[in-house]
Amino acid sequence: MDWDAQYELLKAGKAIPQAGPSYTTRNESNIDDDDMRPVLPGRDPGDEPERRRTNLILDEEETVATPLERLTRHWMNERHAPDILPAQEDLLMNLLDHLRRQSEAVQLLREDPSTSEEEHMRIMLVQTEIERVKFIVRSYVRTRLFKIEKYARFITTTPEVQTRLTAAELDHASRHAKITDQHFYVSVLQSLPEKQSHLDDTPLFVPPMITEPDKTRPVFVHALKQCPRIRLPDGATLEMEKGHISLMPYSVVEQLVARGEVELI
Amino acid sequence: MALPQSLRVSVTPPELELVASQQLVEIVPLISMEKTAFISGAYGPLRPPNKAKVPLWMAVNLKLKKKCHIIAPPWLNADYLQDRLTEETSQPAFSKLPFRFTEIAKVILDVASDDLESPDKIRSLLKDLREARQAKSREGLKTLDHSELSLPNLCSMEINEIRPYFVQSMSIFTQLVRNPAPDPLREA
Repeated sequence: MDWDAQYELLKAGKAIPQAGPSYTTRNESNIDDDDMRPVLPGRDPGDEPERRRTNLILDEEETVATPLERLTRHWMNERHAPDILPAQEDLLMNLLDHLRRQSEAVQLLREDPSTSEEEHMRIMLVQTEIERVKFIVRSYVRTRLFKIEKYARFITTTPEVQTRLTAAELDHASRHAKITDQHFYVSVLQSLPEKQSHLDDTPLFVPPMITEPDKTRPVFVHALKQCPRIRLPDGATLEMEKGHISLMPYSVVEQLVARGEVELI
Repeated sequence: MALPQSLRVSVTPPELELVASQQLVEIVPLISMEKTAFISGAYGPLRPPNKAKVPLWMAVNLKLKKKCHIIAPPWLNADYLQDRLTEETSQPAFSKLPFRFTEIAKVILDVASDDLESPDKIRSLLKDLREARQAKSREGLKTLDHSELSLPNLCSMEINEIRPYFVQSMSIFTQLVRNPAPDPLREA
C-alpha cells in the first residue's frame, strides 16, 4: 500500500508528502491548517496564543469536529460497514502532516540539552498522543486494505466502487486481482473444461466465486442529526431523531452513512 | 493478513477504550505546564491547584506518574449510580447513562480509585447496573426481526457485547424472509 509506505517514510522523516491527485485541495485546506500549527509552546511565534484561544473557543462549542475526531469516526464506520466507504485522502494527509510536524518538534526539543524537566513531561505527553493517533491511522488503513484485498476482483469489475478508492488503492486492487487470477488459473482452472475455467463463470448450482460485500448485513447505527425518512425492509418507514440508536441492515442506511448523518457504532 | 481474524467481526474493548480516552475530564494538576498544542487540540495551562480539563488519556498518564488527581465525572459516584440502578430495576426501558460510561468508569477505577469516594461501592453498583442492563438486552432479542431494532440509551460497550449475536440473528431473519430464490434443481 502506498499509504503505508508513505506513512513509514513520513514517520522516519525521510520524505515530504508527495503531490497526489489531491494536491490542490490539500493546499487549500492547508490555509486554515496553519492556525492549528502544532508548535510546542516556547517556540511559538508571537501571535500564536491569541489565535489558539479562538480555536479553543471553537472547540468548546463543538461547531466543527477536529480532524482526529473525524478520522476516528471514519475508522469506526469503516470497521463496521460491510462495504468499502469513500476514501478520506485529504483528511488522512492532513493528519499525517500534522503527525510529522509534531514528531519533528519533539525531536528538536529532545536534542536540545537545555530542555527542562517540565518540558520533558510535555514531550512525553505529546509523544503519547502521537502514538495514539498513529494507531488509529494504521488501523484505518489496514481495515481498508483488508476489504480491498477481499473484494479485489469485485472492485475491478465495478466502476461504482472504484470511485470510492484512491488511485493507489485502485492500483493495489487491480494488481491483487490479477495475481490471484493468474494463480488460480495456473494451479486449478486451466485443467478444468473451458466452460468452468473462469472465475466469473456462472455455472448452474454453484454460487458466484467473486466475493461481494454483503450489504444486507445488519449494523448498529447512531444518528448524529435528525435524519430524513428511510424505508425499512419490512415496508415501514423510520425517521431517526438525533441520538437514536438502531440495528438495521447496512443497505438501509448506506446513503445516510455516506452523507455523515449517522455513524456506525 | 491486513486485519487479524479477531478484528474483522467487531471492534475490541481496548479499541473502544482508546476512543473513549479522548473525552475530556477534569483534573487537579500537581505540576504546572504551559498551554500545549496537541493534535486533538490545545490543552492547559496547568496551574496547581486550579482545575483543568484534559483528555482522559492524558489524565491517566499524569495520574500514573502521581502528577494529578482526577476529578470524577458527575455521574461517577455512588448516589447517582444508585439512582440509575433503582430506575433500571423498576422501569422497563434502559436508564440514561453516558454513551461511553463503561470504558471511562473502568479506566478511572483502574488508575484513580483513590480519587473516588467509596470506589468499592461504585464498582459493585456498576456491576449490578451491567447485569440489569444485560438482562434487558437479552429480553430485547425477543423483539428482533429482519428489519429494524431500536435500542435507545444502549451504551457503546453493551452494543459491542451483543453485536455478534444480534447481527448473526438478524442476518438469519433476513435470509428467511428474502424471496425464496428459484430452485435451480427444479428448473434444470
